[in-house]
Amino acid sequence: MTIQINKALLGKEYPPYAVTVERGKIKEFARAIGNDDPLYLDDRVGAASAWGDVIAPPTFSITFRDEAADTAAFLKELGTDISRILHGEQEFEIFRPLQPGQTYLCRAKIVDIYEKTGRSGPMAFVVRETSIADGSNEIVATMRGVTVVRL
Amino acid sequence: MKYARVYFDEVKVGDELPPLVKGPIQQIQLTRYAGASGDFNPIHQDDEFARAAGMGGVFAHGMLSMGFVGQAVTDWSGAGTVRKLGVRFAALVRLKDVVTCRGRVVGKSSKDDAHLVELEVWAENQRAEKIVTGRATVALPSRT
Repeated sequence: MTIQINKALLGKEYPPYAVTVERGKIKEFARAIGNDDPLYLDDRVGAASAWGDVIAPPTFSITFRDEAADTAAFLKELGTDISRILHGEQEFEIFRPLQPGQTYLCRAKIVDIYEKTGRSGPMAFVVRETSIADGSNEIVATMRGVTVVRL
Repeated sequence: MKYARVYFDEVKVGDELPPLVKGPIQQIQLTRYAGASGDFNPIHQDDEFARAAGMGGVFAHGMLSMGFVGQAVTDWSGAGTVRKLGVRFAALVRLKDVVTCRGRVVGKSSKDDAHLVELEVWAENQRAEKIVTGRATVALPSRT
């Protein structure tokens, strides 16, 4: 049975949400990948570096979630559920590495929704862009994710 | 080469990154990545759920493979050098799969004080099937 995606979400901007990066989360994330780079893990190496502290790995901002938002509710609004979604593409642009103790403001927007039929049947592609700004409202990173919905 | 400093001047188009081998992928790593990333989709944890969803069983988070690719890049270029990393998830990674991340320099440019190197990056499984393909841009220090 195929499902219909709610294309009315195209262009939707979500309320900004703040994320404060915890030192331990950076280390937990690096270790979960199996990355033991001391610039992520060793506070002394971080302090002696050009950044003055440890930094986050390039994909770390994928952990930035709106605590007030409910993933299940978002998927329901989209017209699907978690069993039908796959991660199609992901891109990060990083102007300055993310660092512990900093609070970042994230703004997400649905920038494209399109459908295609692939080898495994009809699919919808939902493209979401998120900008990440630091305390002085300067954008330090952006991310763009494509969620594939099996229709 | 790991954590050694690579300079823009010494990089040539066609240079290859040292391959980074990860795995065999175990369930515990997917559970650990779920905790670290906050992505608790049961499709990566619960085999019964994954089968019922028509996926033929548990598979790894795409973001775990992307993390591996990011590591292959920064093991070569240095942590904090990545300006852009973009991938397409081409195939699923299953339990027991071995993932090898690779990369190749495809371009160089300098603008103002930024010395940028463009990389083609990808990861493949033990059957040499591409599971991730993408591009990265890193900013490197220059000797001049």
